[in-house]
Amino acid sequence: MSFRGSNASSGMGVAEHSKTTYLELQRKKVHRYVIFKIDEKKKEVVVEKTGGPAESYEDFTSALPENDCRYAVYDFDFVTAENCQKSKIFFIAWSPSVSRIRAKMLYATSKDRFRRELEGIHYEIQATDPTEMDLEVIRERAN
Amino acid sequence: MTQLAETYACMPSTERGRGILIAGNPKPGSNSVLYTNGRSVVILNLDNPLDISVYAEHAYPATVARFSPNGEWVASADSSGAVRIWGAYNDHVLKKEFKVLSGRIDDLQWSPDGLRIVASGDGKGKSLVRAFMWDSGTNVGEFDGHSRRVLSCAFKPTRPFRIVTCGEDFLVNFYEGPPFKFKLSRRDHSNFVNCLRFSPDGNRFISVSSDKKGIIYDGKTGEKIGELSSDGGHTGSIYAVSWSPDSKQVITVSADKSAKIWDISEDGSGNLRKTLTSSGSGGVDDMLVGCLWQNNHLVTVSLGGTISIYTAGDLDKAPVSFSGHMKNVSSLSVLKGDPKVILSSSYDGLIIKWIQGIGFSGRVQRKESTQIKCLAAVDEEIVTSGYDNKVCRVSGSGDAEFIDIGCQPKDLSLALQCPEFALVSTDTGVVLLRGAKIVSTINLGFAVTASTVAPDGTEAIIGAQDGKLRIYSISGDTLTEEAVLEKHRGAISVIHYSPDLSMFASGDLNREAVVWDRSSREVRLKNMLYHTARINCLAWSPDSSTVATGSLDTCVIIYEVDKPASNRLTIKGAHLGGVYGLAFTDDFSVVSSGEDACIRVWKINRQ
Repeated sequence: MSFRGSNASSGMGVAEHSKTTYLELQRKKVHRYVIFKIDEKKKEVVVEKTGGPAESYEDFTSALPENDCRYAVYDFDFVTAENCQKSKIFFIAWSPSVSRIRAKMLYATSKDRFRRELEGIHYEIQATDPTEMDLEVIRERAN
Repeated sequence: MTQLAETYACMPSTERGRGILIAGNPKPGSNSVLYTNGRSVVILNLDNPLDISVYAEHAYPATVARFSPNGEWVASADSSGAVRIWGAYNDHVLKKEFKVLSGRIDDLQWSPDGLRIVASGDGKGKSLVRAFMWDSGTNVGEFDGHSRRVLSCAFKPTRPFRIVTCGEDFLVNFYEGPPFKFKLSRRDHSNFVNCLRFSPDGNRFISVSSDKKGIIYDGKTGEKIGELSSDGGHTGSIYAVSWSPDSKQVITVSADKSAKIWDISEDGSGNLRKTLTSSGSGGVDDMLVGCLWQNNHLVTVSLGGTISIYTAGDLDKAPVSFSGHMKNVSSLSVLKGDPKVILSSSYDGLIIKWIQGIGFSGRVQRKESTQIKCLAAVDEEIVTSGYDNKVCRVSGSGDAEFIDIGCQPKDLSLALQCPEFALVSTDTGVVLLRGAKIVSTINLGFAVTASTVAPDGTEAIIGAQDGKLRIYSISGDTLTEEAVLEKHRGAISVIHYSPDLSMFASGDLNREAVVWDRSSREVRLKNMLYHTARINCLAWSPDSSTVATGSLDTCVIIYEVDKPASNRLTIKGAHLGGVYGLAFTDDFSVVSSGEDACIRVWKINRQ
């Protein structure tokens, strides 16, 4: 890890493909979720998996590894009290407490840089175990 | 969705050497009484002991509670000197809270118009008694004259208003007002004056004391007019007194284990009418410490926590008695049978049987009432372990056998199909028991925190301080380690096999529970992490499809094994202070018990 500047940001680049996949989710709504992984060898954030619009929240949570950290973007659709269909984009920093310290540090320091690349995120959640990114939590944040 | 089906109430918490005060609803026709236990205030319906309501908002142990004269509000006080006034019905909305005294409040009374409240207690020297307006808290008088803890106070129920107080300095003080000022003081007693009550018509008041006497005074002037006759009087300290609604009789209860009913004549002397003795075993637990005359019911409370209700019209009829727990109910067990009997035990050594739908069914009589830490029961046999190094086996006929195992038992389980085989885990290892004999004591070398044995007695799972589960097979008197399972991140607190033996579930101190498959030893259901404090207990439903976990965070969470853990049902606030016991009576009812000494039955409606 290289420390540049006075912030705790590591020198991870963001692959072009990650940015475009995110834009597809945001503008064209072709994905329900995108999971990003840090590729240490290439020193950048790459797309690991995407989910089609028909997939559910359960599919998304099972796609996240139990013992390793990831970044994820999820498009959450819901109906408000006034009966309008709304959609909010959540950025989830998945950092389970059972994962390795090195992984947690890596993802934590690179998060800021990566987040800046993604415009239009409505809410951000940091989850250290599955209960913290439960559907109830997401629903409550959206309302 | 879950809903509360039944609550088996706790009993008023009692203390040896002091009386307790219970209050009744003054609304005509209503038969509910109020008492306190721990931090909760309980409203119990005498006609139907299963109909109870609990107010649990005090931050300190609650001491006394009273209904307002119009029956709409309840004022309750606690040991920090705070008084809370809340609505008697529905959600018990708080109206006001006042910090009244600087120490414990022992008694509280409303004025008959419901506008003023007088509270007395221990004030560390200053203000031992205070009277204030109920809605603003402004003082309505100066109450000097007492030098020690003021045990009781009373408000004259008719005009002109008077307040009387009595205390540990043997004095009975009389105040006139409002604004209340000291009028006179009487020192007729030679020991602590425990209770003081005005008759409902306001003409007289009576004080009772630990010197076994009861003295009657005139209500308007405070002069002594008579005493309870010593003919047939109590032979022990009198703890409480209550007037009949027609102001002609009083009931007194005493440490001599009897309650006496006296006729109070016009000239103020009291003559014994009847003595009611309890039919208990005659031990300390039968000392009566509280009484109440509510419409046609006479209620007495004993030190051991038994409430007996006599009928005022027919004093010879045997009373309706029921009991409950007064302390943390630490374990629950359901006995098969029809109807199902629920056994609950609390650490002070009380084991009580309950029947769903009926409530209290009986106490398990134990000759030595030692404290109980763990309890396991199968059909007719109950095995308990306490804080001495012994395990006690009680069979259906009441014979108790004690087995000394040499060190403190931490956890106890019975092989359900052959109940004479028991596995006891201790700090360093396990002890296998068959009947009343120790088969072997095995030192395992690590700190054992939980254990369970398979119903056929061939396999045992031991959980350790480091979070590892070790599976052993039992052959004769030796254990052979078969596997070590690692998943938990905290010391294991509870392990149970499912009734169909295909799975087992374990819970740990790090708030996580896991369901494992028995034969493959793989994780079956994980991510059961929804509690916010340590898991204390765990139970399986009889059809092995549902697991319930109870925790110190007062919640019970119910998971279905076939669905992901996020589809859980949560019962929030099941028991103030933490849930310590859990059991299923059938596939849709969970029984839970906890620190608040209550037992609740919940019905689950699964979608």
